[in-house]
Amino acid sequence: MKITTVLQVCVAFVLCSPRAVAGSPVDCPGQDTAGTSCTISIEKLLERAVQHAELIYRFSEDSKLMFDEMLISYGMNLHIPEGTMCAPKTVPVPLSKSEIQEISDKWILHSILILAQFWIDPLVEVQASLESYENVPSALLTRSKWISTKLMSLEQGIIVLIRQILGEGSLALEGPEQTSDRFVSSSKLETVRRDYSVIYCFRKDAHKMQSFLKLLKCRQIDKENCSLF
Amino acid sequence: MRNSGAVLILSFIAKLISQAAGVSAPGKPRLTSCRSPEKETFTCWWEPGYDGGLPTTYALYYRLENSETIYECPDYRTAGDNSCFFNKNDTSLWVNYNITVVATNALGKNISDPVEVDVAYIVQPNTPENVTAVVVDEDQGPFVRVSWEKPRTADTRSGWITLQYQLRVKQKKDKEWEEYDAGMQKYYNVFSLHPDKEFMVQVRCKPDHGFWSEWTQTTYVKMPDYIPRERSLWIMITIFSVFIVLILTWTLNVKRNSVKLCLLPPVPGPKIKGFDKQLLKSGKSEEVFNSLVIQGFPPTIDYDDLLVEYLEVYDNEEQELVLDSKDLSEDCMKSKSPSDCDSGRGSCDSRTLLLEKCMVRREGSRRDQHQYSQHGETSWASTESSECQGLEPGSPEFSDGRVKTWPVVFSSPQPHHHYQVEAVKPVYHSVPEILNHSSPHAMPTNYQNLHHQDIQQQEGRFGKPACRHSQSYTHFNLDGLDTPAPGVSPSRSLEYVEVQRVNLENMLLLRPLSDQNREPEGSDYAGEDYSKVKEVTSNNILLLQRDTSHQCADDYSQAGQCTTQQPPHPCKPVIYQSHSGMPQEGMRVMGNGYVDTTVLMPSY
Repeated sequence: MKITTVLQVCVAFVLCSPRAVAGSPVDCPGQDTAGTSCTISIEKLLERAVQHAELIYRFSEDSKLMFDEMLISYGMNLHIPEGTMCAPKTVPVPLSKSEIQEISDKWILHSILILAQFWIDPLVEVQASLESYENVPSALLTRSKWISTKLMSLEQGIIVLIRQILGEGSLALEGPEQTSDRFVSSSKLETVRRDYSVIYCFRKDAHKMQSFLKLLKCRQIDKENCSLF
Repeated sequence: MRNSGAVLILSFIAKLISQAAGVSAPGKPRLTSCRSPEKETFTCWWEPGYDGGLPTTYALYYRLENSETIYECPDYRTAGDNSCFFNKNDTSLWVNYNITVVATNALGKNISDPVEVDVAYIVQPNTPENVTAVVVDEDQGPFVRVSWEKPRTADTRSGWITLQYQLRVKQKKDKEWEEYDAGMQKYYNVFSLHPDKEFMVQVRCKPDHGFWSEWTQTTYVKMPDYIPRERSLWIMITIFSVFIVLILTWTLNVKRNSVKLCLLPPVPGPKIKGFDKQLLKSGKSEEVFNSLVIQGFPPTIDYDDLLVEYLEVYDNEEQELVLDSKDLSEDCMKSKSPSDCDSGRGSCDSRTLLLEKCMVRREGSRRDQHQYSQHGETSWASTESSECQGLEPGSPEFSDGRVKTWPVVFSSPQPHHHYQVEAVKPVYHSVPEILNHSSPHAMPTNYQNLHHQDIQQQEGRFGKPACRHSQSYTHFNLDGLDTPAPGVSPSRSLEYVEVQRVNLENMLLLRPLSDQNREPEGSDYAGEDYSKVKEVTSNNILLLQRDTSHQCADDYSQAGQCTTQQPPHPCKPVIYQSHSGMPQEGMRVMGNGYVDTTVLMPSY
């Protein structure tokens, strides 16, 4: 136990300080971080995380709508995504409120983290791919760029939250197999389809993240009032 | 081959028969909507197609994404007909449901188009509950506070659903609703509603991602009757009136001169000649009035000067007679200038004047021999030079300008003032030279002294004496000279004589002073030769008594208080009465009634 705690402390120290220098979303106000993690209250952290998730979701919704308009201008109709587009995650994510209320905070946090980590790369790809489109609305480009940026900061925040709430070290990212198909688009249509599916599926996951975080926040702050029925 | 052919033919015949019977397979149903009120359950509704005339059953099947398992709708009843209710256990969020409806009847079935549903995005909450609208009265005016509660099913407390609300208000007669966004709060204050009107209020809500709920039932609220914007109305009235006042003030200011003229008409200033308004305004009243004051008025009499002791009468050849009556009169008459007749004066056509004139004309040196008692100046000078038609006020009888007898008053050659004030100044008398004729029988060159009594200060007007014609005077003189008055010893030496009296012929009866044995009282002389001096006026005019009846034994130095009209005094002038209506002013006229008050009286 001692060793693990020592390891945890070391890891925390390692993680915290460079992150503080790197300007993590969690600001450490000039405290002596030696041996301790950056302390911002959990409430604030959760609030920030919720705001992040809300904004991300809203932007993803706008992006999807814009993409739909763009596709209509192209003459394509892809508004019914194929079921395989949104690949199930390796970690089962709760899909109902009851499920969510049954699972623990740990699970929620982990789920959010998994989701966030899952979508960082695809979003970057889509961002790059969107720029090659014709008549792409600039708002779509800016939004997608913004989403990927914020998603990364959200991921880091979740990590801090995990560390603070759960007291665990950083989770080991799962291997690159998370990345779904990294296919080389053969045709434009495929590329479009892929991009659309990314945006579409990400929108759902963003909503998930938002809902999870809200629920988590309620649980953490106001345990009594948050109904767990 | 034959069987298939037979089957086909049979089916075809069956179809024809069924069509002839009017029954067919059901029409295609259609999913109209799927809704989740709280993001935990959801319901789908479909619309059945043509049932084909046969009883048709409907079944809903769904398939989750990433799964090929087809499930059937767990609950067809809860939500009513043609609906499928998914409870919590069957609801998965963020998962696409592929839902289809199948209609089946005896003749066939029909499948609707599939619909992809993600429960998270079909949330349409129930309507808010317990909408209340109350009127709140405050200083600024009453307003309506609308409050409500969240729909019962929505779990906003845990943050599972975040709802935002919206309300709308209108009057019954209005067409358009007035919408207000209330955000996530559960109350709202509505201001600026019309008083004494009834309003309808409705509320609805929406999740942050989802559909708007239905509007609630209408809640009615009635506004009380109040005066809106009372304070602002008063402020408007005040500002408006202030504005009007400012305009009026400015107009008055611009037109203040004419307003001043209207309200305060200018006071006419004094129009006195010689009156300087500026001096008056400057406040130096003394200077103002000084300019109005005529120097020499009121006449200040130096009484001493009035006391003429002696009357010098020259009996000198060199000295001509003052009067050569006719010649003189002619000359003097000629010399009369017709101008300047002052009414206030006595008759100025007096011989004395003429005398003076003539004398002045002839020799200036004669003056040296004359004694003039000069007191101030009068307008006598004017009388000298002019023919005075002296009119006695109130005595028209003397309008002929009779000249007075005695004495001639000469005025110093001072500028003739037209102001009345100067007339107050005492006229100095210069006792005319009574020249004795150079005739041998002329009267001795005696100085005739006239004792003057104190002359009363003449004030104001002097009665115009009757001016006798100078003729008589001349006569008198001549007579006096020619006929040696009894008692007067003609001598060629200078001797003081006394005027005893003036006779009827206006002759001065003289007697030498040496005759001291004369009775003080006027003895009865010829009566006609003597006149008694009543008094001497302030202008050194001898007022002689006029009494024809008896003589005065008084001392001739004294003048009695006799008037012709009043002979109570025993002293009576002997001289004729030339006129009856003597002027009574100051009792000065007497003697022959010849008082030349012209010299006394300033002309006005």
